[in-house]
Amino acid sequence: MMPLRRFQMHQPKSVKEAAEMLAHYGEKGRLYAGGTELLLAMKHDLLRYEHLVDVKTVPGLDKIEAQNSSLRIGSVATHRSIEKSPLVKERLPVMAEMTRYIANVRVRATGTLGGNIGFAEPHSDPATLLLALGAKATLQGQTGERSLAMNEIIVGAYETALAPDEILTAIEIPLPARSQRAIYLKFQIHERPVLGLALIVDVDASGNTITKAKAVVGAVSPAPCRSDKADALLVGPKDKVEKQLTDAARALADAADPVDDLEGSAEYKRHLIGVYLRRAFTQALASPLRNP
Amino acid sequence: MSEQKKTDFHVVNHSVPRRDGRAKVTGKALYVGDVKLTGMAYARVLRSPYGHAKIVSIDASRAAARPGVIAFLTGDNLGGLNPYYGHAVKDHPLVAIEKVRYAGEPVAAVVAEDERAAFEALEFIDVRYEELKPVLTPKEALEKGAPLLHERKFEAGALRGFEGDVTAGRGTNICQEAHLRWGDVEAAFAKAAAVVEAEYYFPMAYAYAMEPYVAIAEVNENGVTIYSSAQHPFMVRHDLTTVFNLPVSQIRLIVPFVGGGYGSKSYTKIEPLVAACAWKAKRPVKLQLSVEEAMLTTRSDDALTWMRTAVDSNGKIIARQAKIYMNTGAYAENSPLVCEKATNRCVGPYAIANVQIDTYSIYTNTVPASSYRGFGCAQVTMAGESQIDELAAKIGKDPYEFRLMNVAHPSEEFFPKMRAFDGNLKQDLEIVAQAIHWKEPRSKGRGRSIGCSVSDAGAYPLTSTVVRVHADGSVSIMTGSTELGQGSHTIIPQIAAEELGVPFENVRVVASDTAITPYDRSTGASRTTTLMGRAVLEASREAIEQMARMAADVLKRAADEIEVIKGGVQCGEARLTWSEVISRYYGLPDGEVIGRAYIRKSGDFAKLPVFWETACTGVEVSVDEETGRIRMEKLATAGDVGLAINPALAEGQDIGAATMGMGIGLFEELVYEGSQLVNGSLLDYRVPRFSDLPRDVKLQLVENRDGVGPYGAKGGGEAALNSMPANIANAVYDAAGVRIRQAPLTPEKVWRALKEKKAEGRKQ
Ligand SMILES: Cc1cc2nc3c(=O)[nH]c(=O)nc-3n(C[C@H](O)[C@H](O)[C@H](O)COP(=O)(O)OP(=O)(O)OC[C@H]3O[C@@H](n4cnc5c(N)ncnc54)[C@H](O)[C@@H]3O)c2cc1C
Repeated sequence: MMPLRRFQMHQPKSVKEAAEMLAHYGEKGRLYAGGTELLLAMKHDLLRYEHLVDVKTVPGLDKIEAQNSSLRIGSVATHRSIEKSPLVKERLPVMAEMTRYIANVRVRATGTLGGNIGFAEPHSDPATLLLALGAKATLQGQTGERSLAMNEIIVGAYETALAPDEILTAIEIPLPARSQRAIYLKFQIHERPVLGLALIVDVDASGNTITKAKAVVGAVSPAPCRSDKADALLVGPKDKVEKQLTDAARALADAADPVDDLEGSAEYKRHLIGVYLRRAFTQALASPLRNP
Repeated sequence: MSEQKKTDFHVVNHSVPRRDGRAKVTGKALYVGDVKLTGMAYARVLRSPYGHAKIVSIDASRAAARPGVIAFLTGDNLGGLNPYYGHAVKDHPLVAIEKVRYAGEPVAAVVAEDERAAFEALEFIDVRYEELKPVLTPKEALEKGAPLLHERKFEAGALRGFEGDVTAGRGTNICQEAHLRWGDVEAAFAKAAAVVEAEYYFPMAYAYAMEPYVAIAEVNENGVTIYSSAQHPFMVRHDLTTVFNLPVSQIRLIVPFVGGGYGSKSYTKIEPLVAACAWKAKRPVKLQLSVEEAMLTTRSDDALTWMRTAVDSNGKIIARQAKIYMNTGAYAENSPLVCEKATNRCVGPYAIANVQIDTYSIYTNTVPASSYRGFGCAQVTMAGESQIDELAAKIGKDPYEFRLMNVAHPSEEFFPKMRAFDGNLKQDLEIVAQAIHWKEPRSKGRGRSIGCSVSDAGAYPLTSTVVRVHADGSVSIMTGSTELGQGSHTIIPQIAAEELGVPFENVRVVASDTAITPYDRSTGASRTTTLMGRAVLEASREAIEQMARMAADVLKRAADEIEVIKGGVQCGEARLTWSEVISRYYGLPDGEVIGRAYIRKSGDFAKLPVFWETACTGVEVSVDEETGRIRMEKLATAGDVGLAINPALAEGQDIGAATMGMGIGLFEELVYEGSQLVNGSLLDYRVPRFSDLPRDVKLQLVENRDGVGPYGAKGGGEAALNSMPANIANAVYDAAGVRIRQAPLTPEKVWRALKEKKAEGRKQ
């Protein structure tokens, strides 16, 4: 880690002003939230910016609000505030639970959800779960607002669809229906997960048949991945699905196409996808339905 | 030498709270990082991107012209200095000269008004390299025609003469070799009832300390003054006398608190570079490395050990043979000593009649390896203690019983020409076996292991100290031992307080300033309690003798009428405290008495090692057979420390060492891809966390007062590390039936071994 090179800090008062600043500074500027990724990368001299636009000075971006059938988390909300939020704990416990195991308490106290998604680091826990939950990211630039699905905003390792002047303002997460169960599991050795696996299943009233399923695997490839084929294999009577889990895991692994790296070999990661899909499935079917 | 009963002690053998604890947890403790000298400038280092390359040209003129830049240092502007240092062999240039030998090696330094200006100037240094073929493993380095790292012969450093010859620089990439043999190994293996033979690997590791290397140097007409995070200030001083060609009296090393060492801060690191910067800049200069740079400065030797061990039909170990290849990186540093120590320690804590160990330390184009807690013992105990379990399995014996039957006995001369064994391993083993419920059935997926090790510890016995008793009865101890977190500045005053019979609070330590504190060879090899402790005890007693004579003088009585009591003297009705003795002697409430002690290789310390450092550790692990992940369920240690001057601190050393060993067993490993270190940061290099430790931890001490230190004490601090990697491997075997001989046992490695086992099972 090196001393930080000189830079100027800017404190916009509105999203619009922030967007203008970003547009003005172009390549030389960057949005800055908690700085847990950005400042670290700058201290390692991997990134250089002469201007940082501090999104924290824009009021209101850290709000966590419930809407009719969704939860809206402001991009500047820290992991810690999400993990501790009574609203998140009550309406979307899987999100609070996942957040509780991100990094360590120091990173969680400073790092934001917007920074996590905005950096598109491949080993993101939230990105994996949010894709499974069908969350949408709200982006605002100089000229207006748009909304993107998670697999639209995160396009690769450290790559997002954000335009140079765009700011991620909030993540909107549809609340799972009563019939749905959501599980997020991860396997971790180093600072970030080797693998994250999110599974959302719709179970019929009998509790024995899965009517809809969505499995997402993260951290093993540049961006979280899902597979129609895997999801299809996860639907049907519980016993039948259990027998198809290996095939579903294979389909998911094929879609993710993991590579060898410091976290493990591709072969090992493919194997872990199977282990964790099975574990998630077992937990999902064992977990009680949420109280009406 | 120890008359007191254990229950008689009033300060030692008590867990008094550590002296520096409050200052450290409140951030008030002074480290080099906190020191700021008037006019101080800052240095930053440019590092080589190549593993092996010729420096064709280096031009720092653009950097020198940058705002705030005061001076720069390159291999070709060192005229006037003797730029090669190293306490074993002087093979290490303070900044690369003509060629670079590892990626990350300092190639130039810039000194500027502030750190950022120095850093920002680095990219304006123009270096042209011509790449050379790197050698990255001992195997490559020993191949015929392999490129040589070092072409020239070196001068010997301070170590030579004490601990043997050095091989480095003789036209091969062999840095050092060591050979040990007794008995007739071939004959013993020929008649053995059972033999186990295999290859084991101990990884490259980084001894992570919270404080990375830091130093401040000032060079002026008085000589060289350096504030450093060095463990052994006196050894660093030696290196600097030759770099600057100055007498010892003109080199001053000052070491405030050190933020952890674990071997990584032993011997000279960045001090010559910083001193050269200060010499160029004519200003005090500070260089503070980052953790990532520290990881490019020193690491542990990784070791590939081929070993075979034999038993006779009674289950008695009759022979051990090993060949060890240690990868020592680009420069010798302390590895020649690690090589010798690994050789000795490879025998293990067993009385074996036939032994042959051959060890080679090999230069490669990687980060230089040096001391790592355990000094080679951890490397070879991975092999030794794994093999003991394998052998026990082969002859159908319980590995614990097998050890009990073979460990060296108290007073046994198990190692020819060395000190007789001064520990009690049978007792240590029993304590640990009980703590982890060895005899009770294991639940599914769980396994246990007990391991032990022995080290010829204490390094070389050369230590001196001064105990000053002041006229008010308070005491200052001048000690060259550095406080690295191990607690030396707590136990040293405990010993003086015990001897002088004064309150612990009134005894203070002045430490680690080579211009003020008497010579102490090192703070390493677990030697401080034994050697400095003994010196403090003797110096205290010498002060007492002087004060008894003074009392006779002031009371006008014969010396033999004076009786020493707690905190003073008595003579008939008259009782004088030390304060009264000194004040009456000088006729003023001022002045002092100076007690001295010199420890050398004679008397109790005539025989090496100073003591045998031994400990026993036990674990229970569980293995997730689907992922291969190992979880620690139980950990127990028995530190065989003679007498714990401060039991809480001694236990602290054991849990610390065991945790470090667990890190190697589970996940610590520096990874190279080609000549690049690819996990050289704490984000990618996994050090143990509290959450990796089991809930069930039992730390116990064995106090037989069998050491040569004060009151029968001897050192601890390394021993609990050594057996841990093998323990984890053995416990995994016990739990899941797979034998893994390469540390760390990462989940993937365990999973692969399980997969192979299943595949073999299907074949049969
Ligand atoms: C030691 C460590 C361990 C970690 N472990 C985990 C883990 O286990 N799981 C996990 O998921 N993550 C982990 N992380 C990542 C962590 O979640 C992120 O560091 C954090 O969320 C980033 O938020 P920030 O506010 O600090 O972002 P910053 O560092 O401020 O910004 C990061 C990037 O996002 C951009 N950005 C920030 N806010 C916005 C916005 N509103 N709109 C658009 N772009 C924006 C910035 O321009 C920058 O490029 C870890 C990080 C560290 C340092």
